[in-house]
Amino acid sequence: MTERIKSLLDRTFDKEQRKFRRDVDWKPLLERFIAEGTSDEARARMGLVEMLAAETPAFMEGERIAFLRTVRQIPDLHSDEEMDERRRNGTAFGEKGVVFNLTADFGPAIHDGLGARLGAIDARLAKCREEGDAEGVEFLENARLSVLAVLDLAERYRAEAEKRGLSEIADTLSRVPYFGARTFHEALQSLRILHYAMWCEGEYHCGLGRIDQYLLPYYYADIAAGRLDEDGALELVEEFFIACNRDSDLYIGVQQGDNGQSVMLGGLSRDGTPAFNALSRLCLKACGELKLVDPKINLRVDKTTPLEVFEAGTELTKEGLGFPQYANDDVVIPALQRWGYELEDARDYSVAACWEFLVPGCGMDINNIDAVSFVGCLDAALRRLVKERGDMSVSFDDVKAEFRGEVQRRADALVEKYRHVEILPGPFVSVISTGCVDRARDICRGAKYNNFGIHGTGISVAVDSLASVRELVFERRLVTLSELVGLLDTDFAGRDDVRAAAKAAPKMGNADARADDIAKWLIDFWGRAFDGKRNDRGGIFRPGTGSAMYYIWHAREVRASADGRLSGEPFSANYAPSLDVPVKGPVSVVRSFTEPDLRPVCNGGPLTIEIHDSAFAMPDGVAKVAHLVKFFIDRGGHQLQINTINRATLKEAQAHPELHRHLIVRVWGWSGYFVELDREYQDQIISRVELCA
Amino acid sequence: MKGRTFEVREFTLHDGPGVRTTVFLKGCPLRCAWCQNPEGLSFEHETMTRSDGGRIACGCDWTPEDLAEELARNADIMEQSGGGVTFSGGEPLAQPDFLLALIPLLKAKGIGLAIETSGYAPHETYKSVVSRLDFVYQDLKHHDAEAFRKWCGGDLSVVMRNVEWLKSSGVEHAFRVPCIPGVNDGEADRRAFRSIAGDDRVEFLPYNPAAGAKYPMLGREFPLRSLLPS
Repeated sequence: MTERIKSLLDRTFDKEQRKFRRDVDWKPLLERFIAEGTSDEARARMGLVEMLAAETPAFMEGERIAFLRTVRQIPDLHSDEEMDERRRNGTAFGEKGVVFNLTADFGPAIHDGLGARLGAIDARLAKCREEGDAEGVEFLENARLSVLAVLDLAERYRAEAEKRGLSEIADTLSRVPYFGARTFHEALQSLRILHYAMWCEGEYHCGLGRIDQYLLPYYYADIAAGRLDEDGALELVEEFFIACNRDSDLYIGVQQGDNGQSVMLGGLSRDGTPAFNALSRLCLKACGELKLVDPKINLRVDKTTPLEVFEAGTELTKEGLGFPQYANDDVVIPALQRWGYELEDARDYSVAACWEFLVPGCGMDINNIDAVSFVGCLDAALRRLVKERGDMSVSFDDVKAEFRGEVQRRADALVEKYRHVEILPGPFVSVISTGCVDRARDICRGAKYNNFGIHGTGISVAVDSLASVRELVFERRLVTLSELVGLLDTDFAGRDDVRAAAKAAPKMGNADARADDIAKWLIDFWGRAFDGKRNDRGGIFRPGTGSAMYYIWHAREVRASADGRLSGEPFSANYAPSLDVPVKGPVSVVRSFTEPDLRPVCNGGPLTIEIHDSAFAMPDGVAKVAHLVKFFIDRGGHQLQINTINRATLKEAQAHPELHRHLIVRVWGWSGYFVELDREYQDQIISRVELCA
Repeated sequence: MKGRTFEVREFTLHDGPGVRTTVFLKGCPLRCAWCQNPEGLSFEHETMTRSDGGRIACGCDWTPEDLAEELARNADIMEQSGGGVTFSGGEPLAQPDFLLALIPLLKAKGIGLAIETSGYAPHETYKSVVSRLDFVYQDLKHHDAEAFRKWCGGDLSVVMRNVEWLKSSGVEHAFRVPCIPGVNDGEADRRAFRSIAGDDRVEFLPYNPAAGAKYPMLGREFPLRSLLPS
């Protein structure tokens, strides 16, 4: 790491960038929108225009890639009352309603430049006027003004840089983003601006996509021309990555760190050739040196990926960054094809923000629109069986059938709930996505792919509970079903023996067929629960194994569960063994969790494995963990994240946060600073199964 | 015939090359004051009690066939990574008949085999087991006979005879020294250990401050606590 980068890194950690910030009260703007009945489209454009006008050019000393957020607040474009009113009138929204969890088509936008986009907008605008396409005209006019607002701020940055004698920045900004980038440096500057502008437009969870693919031509061109060497490129990548950490505290999701700034490296290119390249390697190296939470690295691999790529990834795991997260091309590409994605698009997949698979530029999928609680379904099913049939003539097959029926009912209810979904416009993000200008329609009206993703939470708790019901009620006859259901309300009061037996029953993660067979059955029917169902945007429903934040919420909705979990105890996040379950080790965990065919549940949702940091005390620890990852991929796993943790350190950090502000942990689809998380999330992480050696 | 283990642990990272499973055999003839696995000392079944009242049964009996089958479940990743199975303990050589029955079953499944041993076993036993294995981690706990008797409760010459044989046996091996502050971690100690090892590899393993953690769970006191200056 060069001295310049070290200095930028230190000052970013010291939050020097925050001294440029100010507050803006956007309430008058919202009041004006309401009073004037301003359209959604105009609000989106005016919000961005006002936001960017309020921004002031600011520079960190020594930087070569500019742009900082200086206004803390992004304008609210709608009041809660307005949104509630619409919901009452039958419109559903994904989260806040705006475009989110999306990666724009940065590559072509960087290549063409916004100037060329303006030309395309003008040409299309003339045609729309000719055709009398009023909606097209409105979109394109808003798009045009949005682009001009971005260019205006870029020009103000350029002028200010020039005034301050920052000639390199001024030169770069005299080229981009108006013109197409020619160099690696220009491309990164352009990307920084486009990404920044998305956030200013109100989009959130904005991913960065396959940067090692779309930035590669600039890297090669510079190397070939002798303008740049590998060290110089590394320095630029590092500066860009540091920049991703400057404004990120303003990009708040459910928790600090949940900001969706994901990068996808490696994998296949659109034509099917292996795409892991020199720049992929450079990005991994930069992350390893910087040890920052952003951007969050994803790595695409398959059966043919050489072990050294897994080792390069594991070097980051060793640093305790909670990434890379691995995605398996052998599973994900066919899964996306099965869902109707064209082969070339499927090969171009990235992650939306956390881990939901998305094709950048042409996907307007809402990947996390809702979730089904498997534990909630089982709880309801058991209670209904007991109420309607008592203990008489109920078999374990009846339990399974009732559970499956409940999952299907809830899946059907979600299809109904999201029959009419609206997305609020994003004129600027539309300009940098594929086809919107050609279609003269905002991306909120739909893109090539408009699918909805549905998470499934608590898979392991539900599977373990079913295994426990089978053993305790139907095999050992230790309790009747009604007795067991009664005990769930009292946290097994007076029946420690039942709880102990429940705890000792087969568990998912031990390569035990008595649990894994149930998991296979569950995942198989979950993968088919939405077959034939379509949303009104022409898309389908994609079931997954993710939980996002639902794992916390859903755990609060049920009391104790039949696996011996007490009320108030959390579920594991995503696709992982239940918390505090004794497992033989990570090999058995991988074996269990790759038993099911995961292609039908490929919305996203990784197996999460925690490894004690002592695993890396020996020099060959990296190779061994890399083999474990490869084993997961070879066995048909879809997505994997490995965290290196040390429970003692986490507890110490909880007690003395001031001493551990750099401690990074993986939460669900993202890494964050442990001390910045709420206690509930901290505790959940501490109680995860730690597979130490 | 059955063997007794107190743990079969997957994905152990310090017990040899590749992805391995370590079989901890229960029972040991020595009583090293710093032993981290007190539940591995007795040959009998025992129960550990956690501070939260939870009880852990220590001791699982296996036929060689059952244990071989269990271990072979991970033969795929062992092969992929050049790993295998490591016998540890306790003192694995204290159950030689079981090992001699188990070894060919595992070899037949193509599984690489290693052992971690104190070397405290009859010479013929040592030779017959060790010569069937791919790799040996031979502990060197002390170089001085009196100190070895004091700290480990045994006769050093038993170990040294096996060590001398190992060095010229042609079986791949490395020596491991558990460094215990004030017991065997001085410069002179290191020189003595290196001199025993000759040209062979010696790994000096740092003392684990949590070494005594499991003693209270067995209702025992960590011997090193009273012997070491605090």
